[in-house]
Amino acid sequence: MRRRWWIWPVIAVLLVTSGALAAPGLPAKPAKLTMAVVAGGETKGLKAILPLWEKEMGVKIDLVEFPYPTLYEKLVTAFQANAPTFDLLIADDPWMPKFGSEGWLVPLDSTFGYRRDADIFPVVYDLGSWPPPRGPIPPGEAGKPRRLYAITLVGNVEFFMYRKDLVSAPRTWDDVVANARKVHDPRKPLYGFVIRGAKGNPVISEFTPVLLSFGARIFDNNWRVVLNSKQAVDALTFFAKTLKQYAPPGVENYDAAERAREVATGRAAQGFIWPAEITDIVENPSVSKVVGKMGYTLAPAGPGGKHAPLMGNWLLAIPKGSRNQRWAYEFILWATSARIQQPYALGGGIPFRKSVLMNAEMNKKFPFFRAMADSLNAPAEWRPRTQEWFAVEAILGTHVNAALAGLETPEEAITKAAREIESHMKEAGYYR
Amino acid sequence: MTPPVLLLGALVAYPLLYNVSLAFRNYRTGEFVGVHNFARAFADPAFFASLRATAIYVTAALAVEIGLGLALALLVHRTIRSGWARTLIYLLFIVPMVTPPVAAGVIARLIYTPTYGVLNAVLRALGGAGDTLWLSRGDTAMFAVVSVDVWQWMPFVFLVCFAGLQSVPQDAVEAALVDGAGGWQLFRLIEFPYLSSLLLLVLIFRFTDTFRVFDHVLVLTGGGPGATTEFLSVYLYRIAFKFFNLSYAAALSLFVLIVASAAFAVLGRFLGREVAQ
Repeated sequence: MRRRWWIWPVIAVLLVTSGALAAPGLPAKPAKLTMAVVAGGETKGLKAILPLWEKEMGVKIDLVEFPYPTLYEKLVTAFQANAPTFDLLIADDPWMPKFGSEGWLVPLDSTFGYRRDADIFPVVYDLGSWPPPRGPIPPGEAGKPRRLYAITLVGNVEFFMYRKDLVSAPRTWDDVVANARKVHDPRKPLYGFVIRGAKGNPVISEFTPVLLSFGARIFDNNWRVVLNSKQAVDALTFFAKTLKQYAPPGVENYDAAERAREVATGRAAQGFIWPAEITDIVENPSVSKVVGKMGYTLAPAGPGGKHAPLMGNWLLAIPKGSRNQRWAYEFILWATSARIQQPYALGGGIPFRKSVLMNAEMNKKFPFFRAMADSLNAPAEWRPRTQEWFAVEAILGTHVNAALAGLETPEEAITKAAREIESHMKEAGYYR
Repeated sequence: MTPPVLLLGALVAYPLLYNVSLAFRNYRTGEFVGVHNFARAFADPAFFASLRATAIYVTAALAVEIGLGLALALLVHRTIRSGWARTLIYLLFIVPMVTPPVAAGVIARLIYTPTYGVLNAVLRALGGAGDTLWLSRGDTAMFAVVSVDVWQWMPFVFLVCFAGLQSVPQDAVEAALVDGAGGWQLFRLIEFPYLSSLLLLVLIFRFTDTFRVFDHVLVLTGGGPGATTEFLSVYLYRIAFKFFNLSYAAALSLFVLIVASAAFAVLGRFLGREVAQ
């Protein structure tokens, strides 16, 4: 056989000029990847690791930042047009029902062969899967094959904070009340419990872990509204009467900023918290008086012993319109890898891997990581997987806020909310 | 028609016609549903609650803004003669008007917060209890959102009335004073006729503005507590962007358009008569 000696220099020249040497099996490097992200603290860690990615892989990533409501609108508009506007995106987990049922995202498992990692909490995969692996499934979605469309980047989950210099870690709501009673003194002022009670999403983020821990549910497995129950009324009575008596005056209008301020100025001893509020305010020495004084733990258990931490992950995904899907997937693998999660966390990101959240050194630096791990590991509670969630939240959020303000009794609030939610679900075609 | 007119027509007409079309359809299926979305409004207690809240807001804001703006204009007109003092007042009164409504809402939030808010601190310093939960009760929350509107737009009424007062002939005023007219008579018989058409104009502008108020309310109360400050525009936003029921939202927005246009037509007719006289 005659030797084709000239073939090797030709291949070498082709490879070098095509720029395809980055990794085996990858298409040519794109000039850049465009990523839609929410404006705010959620992208702090992402911004910290991007220079590493660009150095290692030689592909630039352009972050296009939008405020929370605008991001959703921009994504929906781009998806409806199947436009190649974005190669990557981060999405709030309640958006998955819309994105999943519309088929706007690239499945990571069936397209690229993504394999699950034991270092990642199962709830992370559940959040990114469609149809949902548990609970009611929207009409018309049950027959679809379940695929993984997204993986968490920001492991947001709601847990509990308390002044460890004043009270002990509460395990149950009874412990929370006992702690509150012990320290509550408005004359100082020091309040036993601070509530994020503003109408709509704020009060529902706060009330849902209480509602679920009392054993109540909003929907059964057929989307019938089962909110109007003794457990729900008990949960709201506990929230709007018992907890409120230990709260600062005016919490009916408190959002996250007011809550964090009350804690950071040493005026409140206990409350729910999301990770970004800890790094930005509560444990930030330039604005907080309570650095090192706070303890963090799982959301307290209700009368039946159930903990119900609320998920609020931000998920990384690839839109179907992207022209650089393979490289976008490469970025997802890289950004969510165990190797990168550490610099991601140190750069201000909110990680989600067990190996990082349970690492002793990381826990010294970030005292809330253990509580995050426990919350992600608890039996998963999420907002019902329906596109109608925002309407449900608006209805329930109005009545829970009214109950908190004393404008409706807990019974009235639950009854009215259940009736209005059922009427909305009927109109949305969930049943007649 | 000239191209600019066509362009303007397209920019105004297309969204309006699309909105009308949406109001008569089911936005999910696209099927024609007749007046269903309008009829639904009449069976919707939340719609009537928002209408009632809007009526209270519009009445309170207009009454205070026009009453106070006119009174201040008269006061400054009659008592302050110095040019630089008047200029300083103009400048001070322009600041609220150029403040973005969202910023005004944020500032008001800091003022009305019961624990560390400025207002309760001032009330405590003056010897009061200073423990009012301004944004937690329906009546005080309504007061708070109206107060922001008054702070922002009473200066507009002041500036228009003050400009109107400059057009009152000085000899007519002097003659009235020589004839022994008091302050009230001077206003009623000499100054008011010069201001009436301007006041109608102010009423038209302020009515349409207050009827569709949105930004500062969303920031300050979010429509709460409960639904006590959920005005039509806030309710409409909720229907469109929380419930995503675009057809019902389109029907409600047409209702807002019809009411605002009717008010505009009625007040415009009065204005026409005033100008003709």
